[in-house]
Amino acid sequence: MTSGNIIETVDLRYRYAGNDRDSLSEVSVRIRKGVKTVILGANGAGKSTLFYHFNGVFEPAGGRILFDGEPFSYRRRALRTLRSRVSVVLQNPDDQIFGQTVEEDVAYGPSNLGLPASEVSARVDRALRLVGLDDLRDRNTMKLSYGQRKRLALAGALAMDPEVLVMDEPTAGLDPQMALELMELAEQLHHSGTTVVISTHDVDLAYAWADEIHVLRRGHLIYSGPSEDFYSDPVQVYMTGVVQPSMFLINKSLCDMRGVEEAPYPRTETQLVSKMASGPKGRFVIIPVSDRLTPPMVDHAVEMLGGTEIRLGLYGYGVRALLPESGVPVDYVFDGFESCMSECLMGRDVILLCDEDCVDLIEAKIARLEDFGTKVQKMVQVRG
Amino acid sequence: MDFKYILEARDVTYVYGRKDGGNASLKNVSIGIREGVKTVILGANGAGKSTLFYHFNGVFKPTAGELFYRGIPMSYQKEHLYQLREDVAVVVQNPDEQIFSSTVEEDVAFGPMNLNLHPDIVEGRIRDSLFKVGMEDYRYRPTTQLSYGQKKRVAIAGALAMEPKVLILDEPTAGLDPQMSQEVMELVDQMCLAGTTVIISTHDVDLAYAWAEEIHVMRHGHLVYSGVPEDFFNDRDSVALAGLTLPHTFSVNRSLEGIRGLPEAPYPKTNSQLLAKLSPPEAVFGTLCIRALPESEDVDREDEGLRVGIYGFRTRRAFKDRGLRADIYFNAVEGCCLSAMQGRDTVLYCDPELVDVVRRRVADLSRFGRAPEVVP
Repeated sequence: MTSGNIIETVDLRYRYAGNDRDSLSEVSVRIRKGVKTVILGANGAGKSTLFYHFNGVFEPAGGRILFDGEPFSYRRRALRTLRSRVSVVLQNPDDQIFGQTVEEDVAYGPSNLGLPASEVSARVDRALRLVGLDDLRDRNTMKLSYGQRKRLALAGALAMDPEVLVMDEPTAGLDPQMALELMELAEQLHHSGTTVVISTHDVDLAYAWADEIHVLRRGHLIYSGPSEDFYSDPVQVYMTGVVQPSMFLINKSLCDMRGVEEAPYPRTETQLVSKMASGPKGRFVIIPVSDRLTPPMVDHAVEMLGGTEIRLGLYGYGVRALLPESGVPVDYVFDGFESCMSECLMGRDVILLCDEDCVDLIEAKIARLEDFGTKVQKMVQVRG
Repeated sequence: MDFKYILEARDVTYVYGRKDGGNASLKNVSIGIREGVKTVILGANGAGKSTLFYHFNGVFKPTAGELFYRGIPMSYQKEHLYQLREDVAVVVQNPDEQIFSSTVEEDVAFGPMNLNLHPDIVEGRIRDSLFKVGMEDYRYRPTTQLSYGQKKRVAIAGALAMEPKVLILDEPTAGLDPQMSQEVMELVDQMCLAGTTVIISTHDVDLAYAWAEEIHVMRHGHLVYSGVPEDFFNDRDSVALAGLTLPHTFSVNRSLEGIRGLPEAPYPKTNSQLLAKLSPPEAVFGTLCIRALPESEDVDREDEGLRVGIYGFRTRRAFKDRGLRADIYFNAVEGCCLSAMQGRDTVLYCDPELVDVVRRRVADLSRFGRAPEVVP
């Protein structure tokens, strides 16, 4: 059952001690299993307070919370189980990092679950690889940069192997490249079956990523549904303290000028560009990569395409980790899909190296562009 | 006195904890900030942006190299430093590192009091700067009770109260909601217009691209680029190496013109400029009326059926005080242009000194394609 609610709150109410108003007031929100979800709202709207309820750190003053249809229990053992299924990554990593070394910090959660040592160590390895910190496993956590601490906090959550991953402002304070890398990881985790929930006030990010948004304003849930219906109401947007995303605004203006329907709504640059202009496209080659990346794997595709102006991009944490040792010259290390696709729209042949389990994800992204008028000739290289 | 740069670093190297030969966080940096030019220092976290700023107001003394203010070498003597900090105000990224007093009023008054100004002048500056950041109602509040965004605005007010010639803002929009970010940038624009040289550090490439006339890009303590933003973003490898990405407007324009086989220039930096470029000839634009906020009470009687935007801190305040409704509260020059281009008749109320700037910005759209008609 994929459309069920993994987390549901009913009339949730919460007030911090000493405050004269509720921080959450009658909030009934449904987080649907396997749906890319964004909680949107200005600072102080109640996003973080809501998240502290999702993993049982806060107990509601009123209303109730269900996980997979079952009411939360705040008994110790039940909470431990809950936190193995719902991981929350806080905005400030310093609130979350306690271990002395990177490895210790990530191991803390799984060890507490009473897992065998071999399983703990396997989870730590995987989590560190996912966030690209495996080279720093012995590093003292005090000596990490902000971006590294932020990734470490995420690794700690991933090591719990949660069904629901909740991230509070995951890109705040990160450099642009690191932010893109993180959103790619979120997409990949979603693809592998984790329900990912993100809070943000970055409307461009929220718009590009979310299947469903829930909007909070001063502790009230004022909207749940697809992004477009919310952004189409400028008064609501204004009252919420946010602005319309660039892609939404450009598309709306352009459609008004042309006197055409706004739908389909482009959410990414390549979707927008596809809608606005078209010309001869390049070919799009996907090379699945599992545990090995070597130049010959690429040479074959380059030879087949036979051009000189070929651009290479990558997608996925696995291939990203293999890249430095591989000797493969990649043009687009970040935002590989979008970058390659925009080259392809301009007529260049491109090659995307991607994690093996992401091939169907990439194919779906390419197919989605057909809604916007772009049909690209796509080839998947067979392993061998 | 003649000078080429209002602030200049020549061959500046700075080493933290130099006793044991620590890491240099600035390496032979030579950079010139031109007076009155909207300047952005762009770079990833840890590139050296903040370290550079602490040199500009004399808090850090370079390990090697020299700094100049208005062409004169910084001497680091007490009275010179005093003078320098009167002219060059730095707002650090985290407001908690800048706010020390127990009330908002005391905090904003701190700088001007230290200048030994007459109490009446200090009072005027407190009122003026709190008004500009929209915090005048919080004047007597304890600073500990403020939200993050409010603290950030108080920190900015503290800098404004110095009436500096150079205002340096380290990541001014980090951690702020989108609306508050736009409000801060609007204030920054008004400061520029009033003659203050404003320098912003950021890793937000969209902000940098839309706002800056000149950018300086830092990477691992080195200055790797100085010049107009579009030349930097045209060099894909440098952008990637600096830990940055392409601004949305830049890359959308690049793709579109690539497909259409047209040159990328002129480079649109805002959505309205991009749309001016893309507007089909058959599109029917609405008109745009630009009005200075009148002093009289009856502002909006004739605005029935028009979309209304507001721009400038005085106009913002007046609309709030009089309980007037606007449709476009933030980034309104852009918003009103888009509204007119979408076919709606639109009126923009702004502070009197902004009328000409707004007119120029609207007229500038014709460089890219069609601009909406401005009616009296």
